[in-house]
This record gives sequence, structure tokens and C-alpha cells, in this order.
Amino acid sequence: MINHRSSKRFCLVLLLGLLPLFANASEEKLDESPIPTDRASIQRGAEEVVTTCGGCHGLKYVKYSDLLTLGFAKDKVDGWRGPLPLDAALKPQMSADDATASFGVAPPDLSLMAAAREGGGHYLYSYLTGYHINDKGELTNSVFPVTRMPDVLGLSGITDPKQRAEMEEKAKDVSAFLIWAADPHAQERKHLGYYVLAYVFVMTILLFLWKKQIWHDIDRQPKIE
Amino acid sequence: MFNRMISWIDQRFPLTSFVKHDLTGYPTPRNLSYWWNFGFLAGFVLVLQLATGIFLAMHYKADSGMAFDSIQHIMRDVNYGWLLRYLHATGASAFFVVVYVHMARTLYYGSYRKPRELLWWTGQGLLLLLMAISFMGYLLPWGQMSYWGAAVITNLFRATPFIGDQVVIWLRGDYGVGDATLTRFFALHYLFPFIIVGGVVIHLIALHTVKSSNPSGINLADKDNIPFHPYFTIKDMFGLGVYLLVFFVFVFFFPNAFIEAANNIPANPMQTPPHIVPEWYFLPFYAILRSVPDLIGGVVAMGLSVMIFAAMPYMDRSRIPGGAHYRPLYRLQFYIFIIAIFVLGYVGSQPVTDNIVLLGRGATLVYFACFLFLPIISKVEERMLLKRGLPPAVRAMVEGEKA
Repeated sequence: MINHRSSKRFCLVLLLGLLPLFANASEEKLDESPIPTDRASIQRGAEEVVTTCGGCHGLKYVKYSDLLTLGFAKDKVDGWRGPLPLDAALKPQMSADDATASFGVAPPDLSLMAAAREGGGHYLYSYLTGYHINDKGELTNSVFPVTRMPDVLGLSGITDPKQRAEMEEKAKDVSAFLIWAADPHAQERKHLGYYVLAYVFVMTILLFLWKKQIWHDIDRQPKIE
Repeated sequence: MFNRMISWIDQRFPLTSFVKHDLTGYPTPRNLSYWWNFGFLAGFVLVLQLATGIFLAMHYKADSGMAFDSIQHIMRDVNYGWLLRYLHATGASAFFVVVYVHMARTLYYGSYRKPRELLWWTGQGLLLLLMAISFMGYLLPWGQMSYWGAAVITNLFRATPFIGDQVVIWLRGDYGVGDATLTRFFALHYLFPFIIVGGVVIHLIALHTVKSSNPSGINLADKDNIPFHPYFTIKDMFGLGVYLLVFFVFVFFFPNAFIEAANNIPANPMQTPPHIVPEWYFLPFYAILRSVPDLIGGVVAMGLSVMIFAAMPYMDRSRIPGGAHYRPLYRLQFYIFIIAIFVLGYVGSQPVTDNIVLLGRGATLVYFACFLFLPIISKVEERMLLKRGLPPAVRAMVEGEKA
């Protein structure tokens, strides 16, 4: 047909020309180093969150019993929950009013933090390790400059590379746990996903062969232009 | 025994004649390409959305104080609740992908043309219902983007002449988006899909009256029609398999691809998110809205951009059959239109800057120009093609029509 190819090519060129427009990155640069997904890291992160972050932050969608399924011993979880029942949500030790009095803002709930920020775990890791002293000698955070949270990991004051690396590991574990907390069924989901895709793939091949067989006579007829 | 049962039914209900008329004897052009699979896929997605939606509704709480928590309850505590929700949320996006491809096929192959105007218009009605349903469904998780999206869109009805403010209050059930809005959106989000089912039946009745168009655009002689069953039932099933492969990759591995991060923060009427964006399937229309500096003008342009498809049977005045197949100018116009939509989609997703506004206005002009110049272009193209040669069969058809 007249021009069929060339008009297609013309449009392709136009679309390709637009690609750079779509490729722009988000506003702030996040540290994209990988966040671990293994059970041990998630457990270390959970312990850190419960014992340290839990002073101010709660996780209202995560229950103490969920920590048991993460693999913690019953005694340990019992120690954390105190008089609270097993199916209670992780509650902050400090009340929201007290925290507001100290920091000027109620510390946010952490259950969905990894899902509620663009960048997810990379955001959390970059935020936790983003504390530094700026030119004016003030403590600030490169990801979230107006944060009221103190530099919990103390990274703004640590210069020893070994100690820094240790703290960065800790930030990764915390991020790993919060990713788990935001979507606790993620692993089960992916696991099931492989089976579902394998099933559908085989089914589709069989359907294709079946279609070929049914259409056998039709496919031999001359093409209609 | 079986035959006696069937004949017992046939005396009371037209079962055999229905199966013959609409399945085993329904004539379908044998040259349909895989682009013709998307109507069936839209029907499949509709059923999947209904099925998952009904089970979600059993666990969801339409209350501004409980809605957000109940979603997390579904995601964490309900057995396979995460699967139901991800199927439903991804299904909403899939519905639009499938329907947009279905529409693009109709435009490319000129399937909207006589005698299929009513088929096209019932489809247009279904699109409007789908848009309303997805907009209302998006409020239900009661996240920040849900809340502010609904606030922005309902606010557009302020553009209604004389009674704008009252209409906005009437839609929301309150002065602002609140509990009353959430409960009514939930009620309608549950009702409208069943109206869609009714609309689909009408769409199919119209289809089975005029029959499918086909890539050649020529009404094929009886020898080139084959029965729908088994040829197209199996072809649709194979297409469904391919579709499910793509769909499940998103459901199981990238379920949050279509969920804004800000929607995992509970709705807060006191705090506007820095950048309010609608769902991707509304972005081109949203970009058109923002391209017009005046509120009323913007709303009118946006409404027109959706409704103008209905005018296609009258705007396309060419007598050359077969949509873009034999028509190079129309084909070029089609591709330019598609590009304009993608550009508008990009513009709609970006914060407003001078360059973005400029790009949006340009693309808006191109979008409408594709429709408004069509009557002229289609006539010019027809004259050109009649002079420069068409396949003899097509030429005979056009001339025969003239006589």
C-alpha cells in the first residue's frame, strides 16, 4: 500500500524523539544501593525498630503475633509486648502527646512508610543515612530537610568509616523490615506468582496449538487483502 | 434424554435458536486480526472486576473513619485478600488498556462507520460509565490521592452554569469531600457495574445485528464468513491466555505500579499533597483540562475531548471503505492522534511549568484538529485516491455506491 511503511516509520521517529521527556528522574537523589530481602536482615531490622524506633513510632498494622511468624522466639516477643495481648498492634512507648511536646510533631506510624514514599525502601535508607551538618553548622537531612526526627543513627557525627559502615548496615536492616511491614505477603505473592505464570504459560501454548488445529482449513485459504 | 430435555426447553425458551444465531451460526469474517480480541477481553475484565469487587465489598467498610484501615485489614488479615485487592486494582488499569485498544482499533479500521453508528455510541456510553465507576472506586481506599483527586474533580462541576456551587454540594453530599461522599461513591461504585452489564448486552445486540467489521472494510461475501464458534471462541481463549500472562506479571510482581505512593497515606483534609495527579487513564483528559486557562473553558474542552468520538461517523465523510487500510492520509492522522494522546498523558503527569503548559496546548490543538479537519481531509483524500488508483474491488464498491 501507498506509504504504509513510511508513515509508520515517521511516527516511530516522533515517539523515539519523545523518549528523553519520559526519562527524567525524581526530584531528590536517592541512594539506590540494594536493600536486603533475607529473613535475617528483616529480623535484625525488626529488633531495631521495636527496641529503638518503637520509643516514639508505632506500627498499627503490625501485631506482636506477626513477629512470631517472622521467626522470633515467644519469650522475646513476650518481653517486648509486656502486658499487651499477642494480637495487639506495635504501640509506641511514648504517647503521641508527649512526643508532640518534645519534637513539635506526632511521630508518624511506620507500618506503611515503605509504601507511602516515592522510592520505597531506597527513600527510607537515604533518609536514615541522610543526616549531615550543613555549611552553616546545622544538622539537616538531605532527603527530608524539615524533619523533626533526631539523627538516631548518629551518622552526622561519625567519621570512622568502619563505624559508618556498621550504621549503614543497620539502616538497611531497618528499611528491609519496614518493606516487609508495608507488604507482609510480598514473598508469598511472588512465590504464588511463579506457579500461576507457569500454569498460564502452558495453558496458552496448548490453546495456541488447539487454535492452530481448529483453524487449519481456514488458514490454508487465500488471504483476504 | 438430553435431546428431550433440550426440546422441552426450546418449547418454552429460545435456547437452540439463540445458540445457533449467536454462536454456532453467527457469521464472523475470517480475516479478523488479533486486534479484534479486545472486545472479548473487555468483557472478561468486567466479569473479573465484578467477582473480585463483590468479595472485596464483604470486607471493606465505607466509613471515613474505617475505610483506610479496612483496606489494610483486607491486605493483611483476610485470606488472599491481598490477591483480591491487587486483582481489582490492577484490573481497573487493565480495563482501560483493553478498552482504549478496542477504541483505537475501531478508529483505525473505521468500524464506527455506517451501519455501526449505534454500536459505536453504545460503546461511548459504556466508556463514560467506566470512567465514572473508576473515578468513584478510586475514592474508596481513602488515601491522600483518593481524597484530593475526588476533591479536585467534583470541584470541576462548579463550572455548571448558574447552579455550579449547589451541584458540587449535591455531588459530595456535604460542603467538602467527606463521609457522605465516601458512602455515596461506594453505593454507586457497586451499582454502576451492573448497569454496565446491561449496557454490554445492548452493545452486543447491536453488534449481532450489524455483525463485525473486518480489516478490509469490505463486507465480505458469505463464503468468507465463518461461524463464531468454534473459530473465534478458541481464538478468544488463546488471546485471553496471552492477556493473562501480562496481567498476572503485574498482579504478582508489580502490583503497586498503578498505586500512587501518596495513596498509602490516610486522607487528610488539612494537608494538600504537593502534586495531585489522577490515575494514568485520565491523564490525557486532565492535561486538556489544564491547557485551557479558564475553568469553564477547561471543563468544556475536557468534556468535548471525551464526547467528540461520538461524532466520528459524521466527521469521516470518505466513501473509501476500510478505515485506515486504503487511506494513507487517514492513517497518518490516526498515528498523529495517538502520539498526541501520549504527549497529553505525559503532560498530565507533570507539575505545571511554562514548557509543560506550552506542550500541553500544542498537543490539545493537535488532538482536536484531528477531529475537526477530518471532514475536509477525508473528502480530499477520497478524491485523490479515486484518481490515483485503488484496488479494483474497492473501486467498484465506491462507484457502485455512487450509482
